Amino acid sequence: MKIRVQSFARFREIFGSEQIREMVEEEATLGALLLEIAAESPAARSALFDEDGILRKYIILMRNKKRVNRDEIAAIILNDGDEIALYPPVAGG
Amino acid sequence: MVVTVTQEDFDINRLIEERKASDMGAMVSFIGIVRDDGIERIELEAHQEVAVEELEVIRDEAFAKFPIKSVDIIHRIGDLKVGDNIVLILVGAGHRREAFEGCEYIIERLKERVPIWKKEYTPDGERWVQGEHH
Repeated sequence: MKIRVQSFARFREIFGSEQIREMVEEEATLGALLLEIAAESPAARSALFDEDGILRKYIILMRNKKRVNRDEIAAIILNDGDEIALYPPVAGG
Repeated sequence: MVVTVTQEDFDINRLIEERKASDMGAMVSFIGIVRDDGIERIELEAHQEVAVEELEVIRDEAFAKFPIKSVDIIHRIGDLKVGDNIVLILVGAGHRREAFEGCEYIIERLKERVPIWKKEYTPDGERWVQGEHH
């Protein structure tokens, strides 16, 4: 299945503005997707996870334009065509 | 009424004139401006579609919480320099109290939730502005 990942601001500079990722696993979770992205470079890993492998608390995750509760990422099963957005803390106004 | 995220600047006086109505005794505006923190310019970036949706939700919350009559929100993106307008929130109401409260509610929620980011360019390099809620 194909998942579209969009990244913004500081994350755009690390992950690129958009990537289409192919997940081979049948019931891949959002957590698994983040681990895959993190595995690509030390910069990517450290942007997403702390030294203990915990998702950094300031990261905002959106799935199909709806905010995801960070405690649920391991339980969220992705669907083909899902759009995931990665936000650093917002700073508008 | 307008809720938008745009490269274009806004004309506050024109918007006020357009929005005035006979039952409105008060209008409160908040204008965010690029401050000189030793910067040459800033760049604003948004997840446009989500930012507009989130601003519309905040506007609807303000209407539900306060007896206000109009809300306009214009947030700029792109390259801005010191003194340029960043954001305009214009709230019209029967009386001043709800106009002030509505306007403050909107700017505070905007700063917490709306996916917009700023990068500052200084003579020493560039830096992403830390949000207040991280």
